[in-house]
Parts: sequence; structure tokens; C-alpha cells
Amino acid sequence: MSMRTGRAARAGQYAALLGYLVFLAFPFLWLVSTAFKPARELGSLHPTWIPENPTLDNFRTAFDEQPLLQAAANSLIAALCAAFIAVLVATPMAYVMARRRSRLSTAATGWVVISQAFPLVLLIIPLFLILKNLHLINTLWGLIMVYVVWALPFALWMLVGYVRAVPAELEEAASVDGAGRLRTLVSVTAPLLAPGIVATALFAFITAWNELFFALVLLKTPEKQTLPVVLTHFIGAEGAADLGPLAAAAFLATLPSLVIFAIIQRRITGGMLAGAVKN
Amino acid sequence: MRASLRRTAAAAATALALLLTGCAGTDDGGGDSGRIELSFQSLAWQKESVDANKQLVKEWNEAHPDIHVTYIPGSWDTVHDQLLTAFEGDEAPDIIHDASDDLADFAYGGYLADLRTLLPDRLTSDIPRQSWSTTTFGDGVYGVPFLQEPRVLIANTRILAASGVRIPTPEHPWSWPEFRQVTRELTGKGRYGIAWPLKEPVSVTLNLGLSAGGKLFHRAADGKVTIRAGEGDRIVPDTIHDQVNTDHSAARTALGMGGSDTLPGFFGGKYAMVPLGFSYRQQVVEQAPEGFEWTVLPAPAGSAGLAQGVSPQTLSLSEASPHKKEAAQFIDFLLRPPNMVRLAKGDWMLPTGTAALADPSLHTAENGWATGVAVAKTLRPAPAQSVRGYPEWKDKVATPALQEYYSGAIGGDELRKRLVDDGNRVLARYQR
Amino acid sequence: MTLASATVRSGRDGPPGSPQDKRSRPVNRSAGTWFLVLPALIPILVLSVGPLLYGIALAFTDAQSGRTRSTQWVGGLNFQDLLHDTLFWDSFRIGLVWAFGVTVPQFVLALGLALLLNQNLRLRWLARALAIIPWAMPEVVVGLMWRLVYNPDAGILNETIRDLGLGDGRDWLTGLATALPAVIVVGVWSGMPQTTVALLAGLQNTPHELHEAAALDGAGAWRRFRTVTWPVLRPVALSITALNFIWNFNSFALVYVLTNGGPGGRTRLPMLFAYEEAFHYGQFGYAAAMGCVMVAVISVILAVYLAGRIRGGEDR
Repeated sequence: MSMRTGRAARAGQYAALLGYLVFLAFPFLWLVSTAFKPARELGSLHPTWIPENPTLDNFRTAFDEQPLLQAAANSLIAALCAAFIAVLVATPMAYVMARRRSRLSTAATGWVVISQAFPLVLLIIPLFLILKNLHLINTLWGLIMVYVVWALPFALWMLVGYVRAVPAELEEAASVDGAGRLRTLVSVTAPLLAPGIVATALFAFITAWNELFFALVLLKTPEKQTLPVVLTHFIGAEGAADLGPLAAAAFLATLPSLVIFAIIQRRITGGMLAGAVKN
Repeated sequence: MRASLRRTAAAAATALALLLTGCAGTDDGGGDSGRIELSFQSLAWQKESVDANKQLVKEWNEAHPDIHVTYIPGSWDTVHDQLLTAFEGDEAPDIIHDASDDLADFAYGGYLADLRTLLPDRLTSDIPRQSWSTTTFGDGVYGVPFLQEPRVLIANTRILAASGVRIPTPEHPWSWPEFRQVTRELTGKGRYGIAWPLKEPVSVTLNLGLSAGGKLFHRAADGKVTIRAGEGDRIVPDTIHDQVNTDHSAARTALGMGGSDTLPGFFGGKYAMVPLGFSYRQQVVEQAPEGFEWTVLPAPAGSAGLAQGVSPQTLSLSEASPHKKEAAQFIDFLLRPPNMVRLAKGDWMLPTGTAALADPSLHTAENGWATGVAVAKTLRPAPAQSVRGYPEWKDKVATPALQEYYSGAIGGDELRKRLVDDGNRVLARYQR
Repeated sequence: MTLASATVRSGRDGPPGSPQDKRSRPVNRSAGTWFLVLPALIPILVLSVGPLLYGIALAFTDAQSGRTRSTQWVGGLNFQDLLHDTLFWDSFRIGLVWAFGVTVPQFVLALGLALLLNQNLRLRWLARALAIIPWAMPEVVVGLMWRLVYNPDAGILNETIRDLGLGDGRDWLTGLATALPAVIVVGVWSGMPQTTVALLAGLQNTPHELHEAAALDGAGAWRRFRTVTWPVLRPVALSITALNFIWNFNSFALVYVLTNGGPGGRTRLPMLFAYEEAFHYGQFGYAAAMGCVMVAVISVILAVYLAGRIRGGEDR
């Protein structure tokens, strides 16, 4: 009896999951389909999911017209550095905010709200001038710093939540056992935070990878531009676009995030967290 | 020291090393002694046009070893935000490609150089006066208008021939009432006579409105601008409104589309005609199914003939550029008649220069080039683009009002009340 | 061993109301704290707090774009003008509908998805990766792709509706009634992955032993969720919904591409309003005043939300 309900529930779960994935993935599938379609099929009144005459022309044009590889390298550097630095500086601060009720936490919370709610367009000009004074205009470092700061509200806020979910008793137990504070943090707290840290790093990575506005105004020379900026070069006036090459480039630009996430997820699922709790 | 660091770093080819080079690279740029560095931001986005621009820059650099131009791609989608920030931060490119309807604020803001003393007479006299007036703000000229496109009717030849309607020519165009009648005749089962892609309803309405004598914006002797709706201002909006709501000869669903969105329906025979910018022919050629026959017709005419407003593409100079003279030389090079023809063909648009427009290769009937050239001299500056407060009037008043009018949610009186009364309130704030 | 038992203990016995005092113990009030905080604090002060203060100060000036005018302090004049700007308040209402309309379904759907992805299903790593697709796609193309989906003629949505024999489809983005719901769907779609990933990470913190123990007790799925999962997930859920709300209220790029604020202003979000005010009309001061008002309203809403929810949690 219970076995049968279990199996029915399982089937229901798979069905629900499939529904979710269809909803979330179908625009992407459409993008992939578009990337392989010749121009003639793009103008069809009854477009098909599978291209009738698949072609690689769009990819060829995209690579011919725009420095996609260079841009991808720039994006990768910016996103990896931003994710790494953001997690590195945010985790300790989040820890302090979560474990101590102080004026700092209140101020930080206020900052998170204001910095996220205030119109970005009004901040870009002062930010531009500050970076200019620091000689960071038109450098990836400048962009990375901006991405770190823009990922911090999310990073802090989420990490505080994850730290709170780690019971303080664990740390106390460890320090009673004689472990130093730093060792307690590294060997007890950090492993339990791992999923949260990974999620945060992923957030910072993807945000930076996809970010357009800052990259657009802060980078000038073509060799430094990032992928989202280069993608806009396929778009013309009145929202017209060179759809085929744009889709081809956008398809390639989507893959790294997906692959990285898939790898990380595989690791996490089988890896450290489950071990830490079950020991 | 830094150079050696850079070399080692590049050799290491790790992510971190790439980063270092990226950082150290900022000190490059004005490297070679005496060579002038200019940056040219181009918004070309279609393959042919990007190729033409890059090729011209290459030719310039080969001919001028002491004045080096760097080609920087930009995007129509983001150019305004990017330029505004760059101007405020004093980091704008030297040579700026844009459109005349985007220049007003930059020109009034003092960011663009007045070109009157910088350009050679050849160029000044080659481009007609009405084109120059699109880039004249106050007393100065802040851009060189070099490419423009009229709105034309791209029509399905077979449907047109089968219906037996009179085919218009630039000499004998349809009048607006005749046009309305024709679209009614072209409408059939599962087919509309026309699809108006009015994602941006204001510029289309105002630009075509010129043909019927519409003006809407009236400048008084003291320079103050007020909005008044006359008889001529009603013809174009009323025609579109009636086609959608009375005759059902225009597709209601197309009203929110951009130009490209209408093409599948056009190719599929759902729309007999689509009013599009001249450059959309490129997409038609590329995407039309095999054997699809199409033709380019002039837009309908009114009391002012075929007149319609355009906002040409422009080349401007940054006021902050230290090498305006050399940058102006580059513009002159780019816009020599043969080069202007290459740029025009790359973008499938019309050149503004009279010499370029006379080029025989543009007078071919193929792909409708000749029709475009024939209406070129009727093109006027888009109304109101130099009026301060126009962008706000457009976004806040005119766009929603026209959208509601065309979809039938409000009537003509309410439309005019909003355009005029609400509009004048907006303009008043800018003219205090 | 110690870990597991400690976890279980805290989950069951942690006395309500007191965790704050307990949690404050491990960190000494010492210079060490500053050492932990400074690396984040310095860039925040320079690159965020600085520009923010400048931006807020703008609200009390008549700052405009252009190098030809000098800027004057005008006190509260911008706010007075704003009070009478009915268009802005109209768009403010639309913004609230949009922000709630996106945030709530986003959370509910993401929670469901996160729970599913936390199950021991086959190929779940792949499903997890596919679930972040909306997030991984470059924003530049997201709007374009959805415009294609919604295209009344050749869009796959209407095509599907026609294939299923459900009628002739609609003009989703231009219909006065359908435009806002249509963009809300895209908003929910595009924000789901962040929420899902955050919640999933929270779920992975839930001790398995508790679930198993509860299952042995014969607790149903719903009771297990309420008594075991939700208490652990609650702080994460609070944080992510609060952030989502701010982000959604603050976003306009997607809607800008989809509808340009049309038809007839039906999707004109307040942030789009502020953007146009600043970047298209060059009225920085006035736009900054709008920003301040939005910050104030969001802060009040969040304060009520967070205060209510946190208290609610402690009462249990």
C-alpha cells in the first residue's frame, strides 16, 4: 500500500519537475533553434522547433563580426574574480553580522536596502567619476571591483541567513573541545556553510557574467569589452536585430554558466555537505 | 619594468596573468611619439555595414600613418546611456555616430563640437540645407547628417496585381483617402491590407503627418514652441485609426510590433503591405521565402505632397576632443561621395550628399532603390526633434495617447486634448 | 557524531526567543571583528555608499545633464513637484502590482521547485542545471526571445494555442488588459532561478535525520515540511523574498525591451520613469527625488514584512 503511493508520488514528482523544466527552458530551446536556422526560416509565419535546413552560418558570422573569444575571456576573468573576491570578503562580514547584534548589522541592513532600491542610473555617474580618479576606468579591475560591491548586498544578506542556520552550539562544542576560534570557523562552520557559499559565489558569477550596464559605460576599448556588451552590437535601431548571429552568440554565452553550475551541483550532491552532517 | 612584467604574465597565460595585462594595458594608447590617436564609435550592426565601416577605417589608417583611428563598435540600443555617461565623465570617443533625434540634449548640453568652422566647403555644400537643419540646434551645427531613410510601403506584388488597384509611383502616389480605399480592397479572408508596426507610434505619426501638412509644433516669433492640432494633423492618425477600428483593413495585433515583427506575416501573405523604413529591404531580401515577389511603393501623399520627416544618421565630434581638426578630416574622408555610397549600400539607406545620391548604382529598380532615391528630395527634418521637452512629451503624453487612440480605447477629441493640453504643460516647464 | 547530535539538539530544543543571546557568544567584541569586516567595508564605502550619498543629495538640487549649467540647492522643491505628478503615482501603483505580482508567484513556484530538486530523483544534477537557464541567458536576448514568443503572428505561444484548437491567440504585449500579466510572467520566469538556488541551498542545510525521525513517527509530508523543513528554511526564505521584492520593484530593463512601458502606459514601472527622467530628459535632481521616495516606500514595506515575520517566527 505505502509502496504504491510512494511510486505514484514519485511519478507525480517527475511530472511536476518536467513541467517546471519545460517552462524554464523553452525560451532557451527556441534560442538554440534560432541559432541554427538560416535567415529564410527566421521570417517564416509557422516557425518550426527543428530547423529545416540547419546551418552553422550564424556562428560563422558571429565570430567574423565580433571578437567573441576575446570578450568571453574578459567576461570569464571578470566573473570569476568577482565571485571569488565577493565570497572572500562577504563571508567573514556575514558571520559577524549573524552572530552579533550590533549597530554594524543594522547599518549594513540599511545599506543593503538603500543600495538595491535606489535607481542605478543615478549612481552610475558618481561611480564613473570615482573610478576615474582611481584610474580604474577602462580596466577589468575597475569592473571587478564594481561587480564585487554590487554582489555584496545579496552575498551578505544570504550568507547571514545561512550562518544563522548553523547552530551556535556546534561552535561552542568545538571550542569546548579546545579548538581555536579560527579553527572552529574553518573546520566546523565553513563546511556547513558550503552550499550557501557556493550558491552565493554562483550568484556573483552569473550576475557579473551577464552584467551589461556597468561594462558598457566603464570599458571603452574593444579588446576589453565583455560578452553582453558585444552581444548588443548585433542589435540595431527600433529593436531590429541580426537575429541569427545574435542567437548563436547568445547560445554560446549561456553555456558556461550552465556547465559550471552542473559541475558544482554534481559535486555538492555527492560531496562535502552530506558527509559533514552524517559523520 | 612593467613591460617585462607584462611579457612574463602573458606567457604564463593564467587567468590572473590575463588580468594583469588587462590592467597594465591602460598605459598604452598614446604610445608612439607624435602619432595622433582618434577613436571612432560606430553603430553599424548589419554585416555589410560593419564591413564597410571597418574597411574605410582601414583605408584611412593606411593613408594617414600619423593620424590613427580606432574603430569602436557601439549599439543603437544603448548608445544614449553610454554617451551620456561618457560625456559626464569626460571620456567620450572623438568621433560619434548617432542619429539626429538623439543629439538635441547633447548639443544643448555643450558636449558636442560646433562643426561650422571645422568642415570643408565641399562637404557643407554637398549636403542639402534641409538635411543640415536636422542637426542645427540654436546657432550651431552639431553633426553631419549622412544617411537617411524614408518610410516606404513594402508590398506583396502578387496580391497587389490580383486586386487590380492602381500601382502608385513617386510621380503619382496614392492620396491618403485613396490609400485607405486600397487597403480596404486588399483586405480579404485571413488577410489585412496593411500592418502598421507602431511600437514607436509618435515618430511614425509625426513624420508621415508632414505629408498632409501636419505640424503640431508651432514656433512663435519669440522662439517659444506651443502645440496646436490643426486639420492637417488629423489626417494620418485618423486614417490609421479608421483602418484598424472601422474598416478592419489594418491588423490590430500589429500595432505593438517593431518593424521586423511584421515580416513573417508579410511573407506569409497575411499582410498585403507593410510601411517600413527603407533599410528594412535588407531583411526582406534576406528572409523572404524563395519566389516571394515584393515591391517598394512611396508612402501616401497629402496636401504637402510626399513630404515626410526623417532623423538622419549623423557623425559628430566630442567638444572635449583635443584633435577636432584631424577628426573633422576623418569625417570628410568617410563622407566623400564614393565612400558615402559604400556606407549607404551597407546600411541599405539613402545618402544625404547630392553627389552620392547621383551615383548610378543607386538608380537601379532592383530592390526598390530607385523609388527611394525618387522621394529623397521630399524628405524634411522630423518635426519637433529640436524642441526642448520633446522626449518627455513623447514618452509621457504622446505615446500612451496614440496607443490608446489607435487601439480604439479613446476617441479623437480625447487624443487631441491630451496631445495639446497635457503637451503644452510639459513644454512650458522647459521654456520657463 | 557530535555534529549530528548537536544539530538535532538545536533543532528540537533550541528555546524560542533566546537564540540571539546564545549566538552572540562565539564572537568576541574585539579588534578581530574589524579584521573580519574591513575587507568588505572599504569597497562598500568607496564604491557604493559614496555614490549613494551623492545620489541622495542630488534630490535636493536642480541638477541637470550638460556642462553649461551650474547646479543650485533647491531644498524640497523636487519633492513638492513630485507630490503633484499624477503620472508618477500612477506608475507607482503599477510598480507595486508588478513587484507583488512577480515576487509572490516567484517564491511559491521556486519553493516547489527547490523541494523537488532536493528529492533524491534521478539526473537531478542535470535538472538543477537546467533550472537556472533563465538566469544564465544574457539579459540582452531574454527580452528579444520573449518578444518572439509573444509575437501575435509567428510566436510559439499563439502557434501552440492555434495547434491546440483554443482559438486564434491574442496580442499579448499590446492588449491593454494582457500586457501587464504578460510581462509579469516573464518577470516570474526570469527571477525563479535565483530564488530556487537560494532556497535549495537552505534546504541542503536541513538535517536528514530529522526528516527520517519525523517520517518514522508517521508524520505526513505537509507536517514534515512545517515542523522540520520550514523552521530551517525560514531565514533564507525571508532574505530572498525581501531581496526579490526590492529587485523586482527596481527592475525595468526587461519590461523596457518588451513593451517600452506601453500600451498606454500600462506597464510603465516607476524605475523606468526615473530612468527616463534622468537619462532621457536629463533631470537628475527630479529623478533622484523619485529614487528617494521609492527607497522610503520600499523600506517601510520591508520593515513591516521583516518585523512581522521575525516576530511571528519567535512566537512559535
